[in-house]
Amino acid sequence: MIERWALISGLKGDLDTYELIQKDLKKTPGNITLFVLGDMIGPEKNCNKLLHRLINPKSNDLQPWCIYGWWEEQILLESGYRGNQRAEALRINKGEEVVKSLINAVDKSFLDWIAALQFGFVELDCGLIHGSSKDVGDDLTLDTPPLTLLDRLTRLQVNRLFTARSTQQFHLELTEGILNSEVHDLTGNHKKEQKVPQKAVIGVGAGKNYTLYDVGTDNTQFVRAGYQSEKKKNGFGLHF
Amino acid sequence: MNQAVISCLHANLPAVEAVLKDIELQGITNITCLGDLVGYGPQPNEVIELIKEKKIATCQGCWDEDVVDGLDACDCSYPSQIAERRGHFAHQWTTGKLTKENKDFLANLPYSIRKDKCLFVHGSPNSQHEYLLPDMDAFAALERVENAKAEILFCGHTHQPYIRELANGSIAVKVKNSGSKDIQKKEMNLPMRRIVNAGSVGEPRHGGTKATYVVYNDITNDVKIREVEYDIELTCKAIINAGLPPIFAWRLKNGFEFAERAEDASHVCER
Ligand SMILES: [Zn+2]
Ligand SMILES: [Zn+2]
Repeated sequence: MIERWALISGLKGDLDTYELIQKDLKKTPGNITLFVLGDMIGPEKNCNKLLHRLINPKSNDLQPWCIYGWWEEQILLESGYRGNQRAEALRINKGEEVVKSLINAVDKSFLDWIAALQFGFVELDCGLIHGSSKDVGDDLTLDTPPLTLLDRLTRLQVNRLFTARSTQQFHLELTEGILNSEVHDLTGNHKKEQKVPQKAVIGVGAGKNYTLYDVGTDNTQFVRAGYQSEKKKNGFGLHF
Repeated sequence: MNQAVISCLHANLPAVEAVLKDIELQGITNITCLGDLVGYGPQPNEVIELIKEKKIATCQGCWDEDVVDGLDACDCSYPSQIAERRGHFAHQWTTGKLTKENKDFLANLPYSIRKDKCLFVHGSPNSQHEYLLPDMDAFAALERVENAKAEILFCGHTHQPYIRELANGSIAVKVKNSGSKDIQKKEMNLPMRRIVNAGSVGEPRHGGTKATYVVYNDITNDVKIREVEYDIELTCKAIINAGLPPIFAWRLKNGFEFAERAEDASHVCER
């Protein structure tokens, strides 16, 4: 059976979208693993129902594998899980009201579960992370300098990096790279030519926009939740 | 004009005096220091006062930061638990010795100093705790210089002096699955950049016992690594007399390379 990953992020408490995606995935062929790349919570909606569902999946739900995202980091900061630090960046950029809304959107009983979430997963030669291993808020897009993308791949020692922070959907391949390095030290001169093997950075999207990844063929499919019903409407077919 | 860049003085006064003398003998007056004025060595106040007296522009090093913040150096940068304990002990010792004035001085040092196309930092532009080792992934090394918008990046922290030139680079990218029919391809050339590590004045780890620093000529772009002899015995005695771990003296005397350093060059302290 085809091995396929579903990568979602940025639900921000939206249980309806999560249910829609679960429904989609039931109709998607293959052996599917569901990864939730953070931002399960946010300040706009009460997030308790979604969190409860992620922690206690329904019997016919695909088991979600969750990591924490930027909004999880903010609530952990503000709730004292990071020593003396607080969510100052959020406070400065969005104001006190948003900080309060975020705190009110999540019941305190979920905080320990959030705090125990992993920063990322490494599966095969792929890194699955909310931003990058440099920072959970690292906003990688198609316009990020390739050198920066390469650095983020190197830090995780992976060939493919799935990232969610930018909310964009993209699949950028670094097809070739070369760089000459010459080091002079007290023992003499050392020359080296470094090449990059093929690597890729994939933006998985957010909310209703999510990504299906075919592990065997390295193909991505950018999907909008509810596509199965849309497909019928406009006759747009998906080819796997 | 020639300028000198020194780093990692580590409270070793005889070494600092010898290096400053060597710089003076060459008629160089422009000196930049990349931090780690204290830690390991027995004369933290004396070294800070000498730097202040000479008005040497200085960035904050990892030890300077940790001593001030009351934090212990990130344990992940120690190769063993014994090394970690020794490091912590040296921190406590140094914190206890430093005057309030000198602590304030360390606390107010900048993370980086920029002069035209040169950027001076202790570890890397990302962190005082990141090691830019000479064999670090070339693309990642270039990224550090590029992201800092510099042409030459001066750093220390590894205690190994080197000059690394990164040239003739290119990267090709392809947008897959963009929804449009044409495959979007792009190839870009990478700029030539250099990383210069100033080594260490007070705690060398290059395999020899001499203090090291670099001289940079901003007209010819030439960089030279200088090695300077100093009275090692004097420092070693002071280490023992101060009650600091004798291994710090032994290391200076034998010029052994192994010391407290991260195994992984791309490692950044997440503390
Ligand atoms: Zn140092
Ligand atoms: Zn250091």
